Amino acid sequence: MKETRSGAAELTHDFVELSEAGAAVRLPAASALGLRRGHETEEGGEGMRRKVALAAIAALCTGLLALPARGGGAASVRAVWMEYDARYNTFWQQLKKEFEAANPGITVDNVVVPWNEGHDRLVTWIAGNQAPDIAIVGTRWIIEFNKMGVVQPADTLLPKAFIDKFIQPALEARINGRLYGVPVALSARSLYYRTDLVKTPPQTWQELLAAAREASKSPGVYGIGVSGKKFAELTEYVYYLYGNGGDFFVTNPDGSYGRCRVNDAAGVDALRFMVDLVNKDKVTEPNVGENDRGTLQDLFLAGKLAMIETGPWFGGMIQERAKTMPFAVAPMPHNQGKPQQTLLVTDSIIVFKSAKNTDAVVKFLEYAYRDGPRLEFDKDFGMLPTEKSVARDAYFQTAFYKPFIQQLPTAKPWPLTADWSKVEDVMWDAVTAALLNTKSAKAALDGACREIDAARGIK
Amino acid sequence: MIARAASRLTAEERLAYLLLGPALLLMAALIFYPVGATIVTAFGATDKLGRISGFVGWGNFRALGADPAFWQIFRRTFLWTALGVTVKTTAGLGLALLLNLPFRGRKVARMLTVIPWAIPYPISAIVWQWTYNSQFGLLNQFLTTTGLWPHPPAWLAEPRSAFAATMAVDIWIGLPFFALVFLAGLQAISPEYYEAAAIDGAGAGARFAAVTLPFLRPVIVMGSLLSVIWTFNDFSVPYIVTKGGPMNTTDILVTHMYKTAFQFLDFGPASAIAVITFVTLLAFSVVYARLYFREVV
Repeated sequence: MKETRSGAAELTHDFVELSEAGAAVRLPAASALGLRRGHETEEGGEGMRRKVALAAIAALCTGLLALPARGGGAASVRAVWMEYDARYNTFWQQLKKEFEAANPGITVDNVVVPWNEGHDRLVTWIAGNQAPDIAIVGTRWIIEFNKMGVVQPADTLLPKAFIDKFIQPALEARINGRLYGVPVALSARSLYYRTDLVKTPPQTWQELLAAAREASKSPGVYGIGVSGKKFAELTEYVYYLYGNGGDFFVTNPDGSYGRCRVNDAAGVDALRFMVDLVNKDKVTEPNVGENDRGTLQDLFLAGKLAMIETGPWFGGMIQERAKTMPFAVAPMPHNQGKPQQTLLVTDSIIVFKSAKNTDAVVKFLEYAYRDGPRLEFDKDFGMLPTEKSVARDAYFQTAFYKPFIQQLPTAKPWPLTADWSKVEDVMWDAVTAALLNTKSAKAALDGACREIDAARGIK
Repeated sequence: MIARAASRLTAEERLAYLLLGPALLLMAALIFYPVGATIVTAFGATDKLGRISGFVGWGNFRALGADPAFWQIFRRTFLWTALGVTVKTTAGLGLALLLNLPFRGRKVARMLTVIPWAIPYPISAIVWQWTYNSQFGLLNQFLTTTGLWPHPPAWLAEPRSAFAATMAVDIWIGLPFFALVFLAGLQAISPEYYEAAAIDGAGAGARFAAVTLPFLRPVIVMGSLLSVIWTFNDFSVPYIVTKGGPMNTTDILVTHMYKTAFQFLDFGPASAIAVITFVTLLAFSVVYARLYFREVV
């Protein structure tokens, strides 16, 4: 019974998506086919039963034949958008409306998917030959999709003037000199702190610890948030790793990634520092194993954290959900003696090779990438500008955005490797094991590197 | 030949085949083909899209066998199933006996019992995930303010408590099914048997052992068999409540299979896990059904 129920739930879900896409397939209503009680008795006998059966089969066939019509028509763009927050659907629906009005004959089908499910949903669609025409993806996923051979190079599809609009750090999706995705969202991570609890923003780990200790003295407040629950990205370990001059892989002379190196001194010290924050200094929330980035943000919004490391979108969330909270933003702290460096993350729009109406896709992208909608997107979802012209807007010249933009030149992206999903999963387990004190930082990362190297075929 | 065979069929039989046809076609497309394709993939080397590029014989199975993490998950799935089914069956029986007693508000009580089962599983799982949250959740708030447990654990943060908490959600969701099925079984037992037993001097315990249990046996057997299959394959509860964490300590075969396929894109090993799950459940069902029918006949 359970299988039936969950199956039905999935079907309903798919139907809703189809309906949203404006291409729902509907079977003729039973009443229209004469499938009413009493009909049989009125005419009686087998003849009527057969008619009803034939009608039912005809209805089924009509339904089946109608299926390929999904997404058909003159020109349509089927787009999958990963959800940044609740207003997201409205943004794309509005853009769709305006675009369709300006471009009669082209329709846009929007499907919005939560980030945490996005990767797996896209893979399922790709594997089932149901890839959309375009999709927003974490740029770190592109190399994997490219290895599947399903992504079109963006620089052949879009004019040079289009590509030239972007600021350099945003053009992360280059593989072997080709650009495979156009940046849609850019963020650098920074330290948010409560100005009533932290007087001077910490620049180094040592200052961070001191500030966290001080803030923890306030009742009901934890110094700094650390998350130990798997999330769509390996926060916060990566902040400490990059802030300690560490990296995930050894870089080969040809630029490719070699062995895993998180178990070197930089990697181990980064994790050890986090473990100490949690278990020795006890300046974090006590339940690190149950928090991911999302619930940590909730803790900060509830006034229980003095500091949190996250992206520019969080500023908007504070203004919306904790209006009176006094806060400021500072560059990500680093280990004393190591250069300051934070994580830079881009999300990109990719065009799938299976896209039929590339002209329509290009038209839509050109429409979506006008300065107006781009500024609106960045404002709505708290992202940094990806285009030079948008970056010049007065909106980004504020004290809030300054630390984010100031860190961009030295910020480092995630490694682009096809096995990233596996690497990230193994790393999460290692970090959680160390945070929960079931393994030492060194043992956890040694084990992780063995597993990562084996998974990547490095002996 | 076919025409001759067809001509031997009566009109009604022909209509029957015609009506069965679409269902058979759909079953072939939606059940037989995927199962067959999964079995073939289990013996194949695949690319990131699940396309088979060659065959590796038992390679995928051998790789799983050599992976200690797989065995851990395999054992945990059995523990998960055994615990879940045992608790659901016994507590379900207890609940059914209670609901079978005449008392005021019995109808309301029966209706309330169904609620956990009537709510879509993912929604229950999400609600429980929040209930367990140690900072915002209702459970720890309740335990601490009432003084029942001044320092309750952060349920989903540690491996052991996360497993127990996830198990509890599965039981909470599955219990009403047993209560209802057992209640239906209880109501089918004629009161005359109880009267006869009472006349023979049987007390409540004896009546339960000599009348209730024997009559309920077929229901218990079928109910627990279904529950074994559902619990073994329960995806939504562990996946939504903990995503298999912390450190994969609440992963069971079906969540591990999903991650292997759709997170790591290792479709060969994932299909091998699917085949192992299928064979395990098939073997269990066959043995169980044989034992059951042998005794009944």
